[in-house]
Amino acid sequence: MPDAQTRDDLDNARTHLVVQGEYEVTDDPGVVLSTLLGSCVATCLCDPVARVGGMNHFLLAEGDGSGRFDERYGTYAMEVLINALLKRGARKSRLEAKLFGGAAMAGRMARIGESNCAFALNFLETEAIRLVSSSLGGERARRIRYVPTTGHARLLFVRDELPPLSAAPAGAPQGDVTLF
Amino acid sequence: MTLKILAIDDSRTIREMLRLCLVRAGFDVYTAEDGVDGLESLDEVDPDVVITDINMPRLDGFGVISAIRAAESRASLPILVLTTESAAELKERARRSGATGWIVKPFDDVKLVAAIRRIAAM
Repeated sequence: MPDAQTRDDLDNARTHLVVQGEYEVTDDPGVVLSTLLGSCVATCLCDPVARVGGMNHFLLAEGDGSGRFDERYGTYAMEVLINALLKRGARKSRLEAKLFGGAAMAGRMARIGESNCAFALNFLETEAIRLVSSSLGGERARRIRYVPTTGHARLLFVRDELPPLSAAPAGAPQGDVTLF
Repeated sequence: MTLKILAIDDSRTIREMLRLCLVRAGFDVYTAEDGVDGLESLDEVDPDVVITDINMPRLDGFGVISAIRAAESRASLPILVLTTESAAELKERARRSGATGWIVKPFDDVKLVAAIRRIAAM
């Protein structure tokens, strides 16, 4: 059960929506990050000492038809979030992670939820970032509210309110090369 | 002759992705986990090309570029920046510091390998 302070954090705050392909980082204690997840995964990271945190919302791209999913966009989504946190004074060794989403939704996106979960768990383990809680998989969409400065989260399973899914992840550049 | 690449990035995930991509392309790959480690391994590795991230603890990519260019013997060592950053002013700062090129993540294997071959042949 959330304590009174958590309820206060979550209820009396300005809400910022984090949509697919985007991320948000803040040290403003009056801001709550919110997102709606089907197959996508949201990584919530908080440095409780620096009191700064953030959230990304990603979907691995479908690969080259080999049945594998392209992890480059997931890695990109993680790296931009972590870099933005470090610029705000967070330390990687202090980061605490919460993972949400990755449901097996109907249709051709059924398997991608599982791949998103596996990727996110593997990434955190590889980078030695501590996972403090997660709610992954299943078949239902989730609405998340996250207080980035404290790491408190509230999860609500939702029906009939599925987020729009685009096959290609948005917001990521495409490996542009500049030679000077 | 096999090209020796020194890749400097604080993310273990990125280092492993780079290693996989560059070994597959036939390069000898060495990695370092931040700017300080990267500079320390320069003499030992004596690379043909350096790939460096920008945002890293201890010493960032701009520090790496400046330190490499401060040594006369490495005035022409090709340095490729590989970063999530794409702002024009950062690119310009890297160019002025002596970087050879700038690639925005997520990187495309084919484009990265082509860029390395091209700058190594310059």
